[in-house]
Amino acid sequence: MFNWLPEWAQPVAEYVLHTGLRNTLIIAGVSVLLSISVGVVFGTLLTIRFLPVQAAIRLYIEVWRGLPIIVTIFLLFFALPTLADELHFSALNLDTMRASILGLSLWGSAQIAEATRGAVQSIPKEQHEASAALGFGWVGRHTNVILPQALRRLIPPLVGLSVGVIQNSTLASIIGVPEVLEAAQRSTNRLAVPTVDPTTLSIEGGDSHALEIYLGVFFLFFVISFPLTRLAAYLERRLAQ
Amino acid sequence: MSVLASFDWSYIWERREVLAEGLKVTFELAAIGIAGAFVVGLLLGAARAYRIPVISQLAGIYVELIRNTPILVQIFLIAYGLPKATKSLQFEFFTVACVALVLWGGAFNTENFRAGFEAVPKRYNEAALALGFGRIRTFLNISLPIGGRIALPSSINTYISVFKNTALMTAISVEELTNVAKQSIDLDFRTWEMIAVLAVTYLTLVWTLSALIRLIERRLALPEER
Repeated sequence: MFNWLPEWAQPVAEYVLHTGLRNTLIIAGVSVLLSISVGVVFGTLLTIRFLPVQAAIRLYIEVWRGLPIIVTIFLLFFALPTLADELHFSALNLDTMRASILGLSLWGSAQIAEATRGAVQSIPKEQHEASAALGFGWVGRHTNVILPQALRRLIPPLVGLSVGVIQNSTLASIIGVPEVLEAAQRSTNRLAVPTVDPTTLSIEGGDSHALEIYLGVFFLFFVISFPLTRLAAYLERRLAQ
Repeated sequence: MSVLASFDWSYIWERREVLAEGLKVTFELAAIGIAGAFVVGLLLGAARAYRIPVISQLAGIYVELIRNTPILVQIFLIAYGLPKATKSLQFEFFTVACVALVLWGGAFNTENFRAGFEAVPKRYNEAALALGFGRIRTFLNISLPIGGRIALPSSINTYISVFKNTALMTAISVEELTNVAKQSIDLDFRTWEMIAVLAVTYLTLVWTLSALIRLIERRLALPEER
């Protein structure tokens, strides 16, 4: 499949695309799904005028949106497991993959909650009143009438969030998840070590090819993100009309 | 809970000098990144808004390239990739960090300022031209103060992101706050103490800046919108 590449690049492309890209897409995909499910619920609850709930969700949003995501991931990966023994709750021993996904989801759900609040509040009051008059309770009113309309306004920010999550999934490399960037970095480290040919005893390699590899990664992300940001911009324009 | 009971305030006090040193580096990175992002954004934003040939198109490509790639990849490309192209592009990692922050913030700020300048009503510029202002004076006296104010909230959001992105320089071992805290954890395993320092410091600064946006938004609102 990568025969057209120079010999050193074939195993690199194989590793970065098969292992790396697969992990990147798993991290990003799961994080986006978690962010949406938690974010939409929290954002809708935020529109209820009940102070304790509002304060709790506000705090959740401001904390996870305010922290640099890498600090959140450090919190989940380094600090949380110290509680696992103590509470006899081994689920807190997150592996690198889960810690990254959870860190991204906390950040993503905070963004989505804020966007959902705006979208729900943009639905005219008459819609609430009319559905209440039809006998819907709060839950029925929101799931049947308000959220389906709000969702239309949520689509552009959702696409935007996916781009953000895909890009920020590279942070997982800092705790060692072999996603695209980490796979690329490992490849440069491997290539940088010279090898001795056992028959001729000549030293070969020793070139990290860092420029080519990181440029490749750069354009890989560009090819994924660019169509999505265009799509988000297009959807936003169409919505504004 | 014994983790809470064993939370050792004196450990944070013990590490105060190292942490202060890290915070200083974080502030330096943020200050350079924000100042650079302001200059780049202002110049290229104006070039985009006034469709200055060549510069405008190049700025457009630059913005799309930066906004559609992860900053961490940009950092690695500058830190490890560019020196392989020519030795003259080999910088120490603090400089790499500054360049990456300015490039990243500048791209987002170009869009902020472009939108700001484009939002200035045409009639204001026409009025200035009718009063005999040249193009440059029109920009300096009309577009800049009005468009700059329109762009201010979104550009402060970009500055907040630049500040948060300084934490990523841990990946290229610049000794900023997150990195020194992480090193302390590796050394002494006082994990919660250091994570608490990080969380409190970043949240305090980010929340203060966000509050500042709201204040400025109210203060600098254009008279018609008040």
